[in-house]
Amino acid sequence: MVGTPVQFIAIPLLAAFLIPLLGKIWKELVRITPGVVLAYLLYLAVNLMSYTLEHGRIVEVIAGWAPPWGIDLVFSPFSGFLATLMIFMGFIVWAYSYRFKAIGDYEDYEPTIKYNLLLMMLITASVGVVLTGDIFNLFVFIEILGITSYGLTAFYRHRDGAEASFKYLFIGSLSSMFLLLAIMILYSQLGTLNMADIASKADQLKPVYKISILILFLVAMGIEAEMFPLNGWAPDAYSQAPAPVGAAFAGIVVKAGIYTIIRLIYTLFDVGGTYEYLITMGLITMIIAEFAAISQDRLKRMLAYSSIGQMGLVLTAFGIGKEAGVFAALFLMFNHAIIKSLLFLSGSYMVYNSKTKYLKELNGIGKQMPFTALLFSLAAFAIVGFPPFAGFWSKLAVLTAAADSGMILIVALILSVSLIEVVYYLRVVNRIYFLKPETSDREIQKPTTQAVLSMAVLGIIILVVGFYPDIITGVLHKAASTLLDKSSYIKDVLAIGQTIN
Amino acid sequence: MDLTQYNDILTIIFYGTSIGLILIGLYAALVKRSLIKIMIGLSIVDSGVNLLLLSIGYLAGGTAPIFSPAVIDKQNVIMVDPVPQALVLTAIVIGFAVTGVGLALIIRLYRHHKTVNIDEIKNLKW
Repeated sequence: MVGTPVQFIAIPLLAAFLIPLLGKIWKELVRITPGVVLAYLLYLAVNLMSYTLEHGRIVEVIAGWAPPWGIDLVFSPFSGFLATLMIFMGFIVWAYSYRFKAIGDYEDYEPTIKYNLLLMMLITASVGVVLTGDIFNLFVFIEILGITSYGLTAFYRHRDGAEASFKYLFIGSLSSMFLLLAIMILYSQLGTLNMADIASKADQLKPVYKISILILFLVAMGIEAEMFPLNGWAPDAYSQAPAPVGAAFAGIVVKAGIYTIIRLIYTLFDVGGTYEYLITMGLITMIIAEFAAISQDRLKRMLAYSSIGQMGLVLTAFGIGKEAGVFAALFLMFNHAIIKSLLFLSGSYMVYNSKTKYLKELNGIGKQMPFTALLFSLAAFAIVGFPPFAGFWSKLAVLTAAADSGMILIVALILSVSLIEVVYYLRVVNRIYFLKPETSDREIQKPTTQAVLSMAVLGIIILVVGFYPDIITGVLHKAASTLLDKSSYIKDVLAIGQTIN
Repeated sequence: MDLTQYNDILTIIFYGTSIGLILIGLYAALVKRSLIKIMIGLSIVDSGVNLLLLSIGYLAGGTAPIFSPAVIDKQNVIMVDPVPQALVLTAIVIGFAVTGVGLALIIRLYRHHKTVNIDEIKNLKW
């Protein structure tokens, strides 16, 4: 092994607060530091991932206090896969925003410092959420994630950014209250905060406490995971935040929210009825969000609603349960991170100079920005699930999993909702290539080299995964079976405590 | 008054006060139309939750959970649970940070709209 999981939290946290100081030495360091740190973390994540795929999960004890007393970090194929994905998306977002003009020029690098600092904190917190094995530590990371998200939503100094951010903050602090209440009831009943310990003692809980904890948790985390009806913040936050931040929300923040719900339902409590609940909420979220998306006339709001719809599909897939359902859900999460980020990144350059970001301003932009428009169309085809792009395989996996479990109604619903998705994405692609522009003097913004490169990398991944899905499915199957194997999680974590004492 | 009776009364006072605080805070946050009052409400909710968290770790007649020589020498010493105290300390800091960010956003909203009334700030659909 080259390093330990704690570096995923310690290094970016340190780097985040060093950024303003390094900026005093050389202004360019503000931009370079996050990239160097993220590249190192990506190298580390891939290494640890290959180790954990062979040797099983890595449990790290922090500060010598063994579980169940101290905080532990768990790097399993499941949490490691999500951590690697988050760091990779962080790296892409960093590369894209390297010379993103709206974030700061070379002369005025004050906003760049803030942006890079907040981005590093966002990645630290998300990776912390998926790695930690302590439920209060989870709460702390979720709060860090929340505060950085509020900051990034209000990044542009105009009033709508602050409004969206305040809305997010309001919902976010209510969610943190519910989360804290849930943790409190849990602690008062079981006297432990370690997740493995909670999981092993969960059947001692009285049903009334179990249900109330579960409801509080689901409400709190449903807000972060964009679950209906708690997702009112999402369209505003996505549309008001800077474009790379929209990609970071779709690729990183939402994944952390989904992870928490899944960890809670699959590992902590195995209450009957929660799977059906996940399916119901997922389907409602998906249907309402897709219908909302089709009626949007602004690009970013449409993408935001589509993102909510995809998360509904992920929840449904997790609700189907078993190995096939979890595998499909993880595949969907991976694809959503890659494809939706590409949609946000390329879409934002197409509406760069527009104040209103209406869809009709995209008419005929394919001739002026051929490369960006091509990548946007590629991503649009991929996300609706056309073969041979990446999205096809994940949707196929969901449908197969549902059909195997005999849930034909779900198959029908997913297919008909996909049809809506096809309509509104193809409508945009149609505008890009076949409609005449409304004004002839449209100014276009040329993407920076770094942005072109990062978008191209995402596009290549979509194609490669589309043609050779086997390169990712092996890891995903391993991750899915790790998540379902609750008893080995408990054993691995608590065994550390016994060997030290 | 013996210890259990004393304990019961204290428990009722603690839980009652904290749940009361949470309800007052929620009322302010959900009903008031001024952004500042909403923020105050959210911070009252925070205090209520923190007090509740603290009171589950309380034991009647318990001392501070510090292993000092004076405590170890005594027999049958009751200590309160230190874990909720550590949690509350963290939760207070987080609540402080959220309040700070919220007030900063309110200042920015006020500069643009010249009002803190939530009904007049609706560029985005609520």
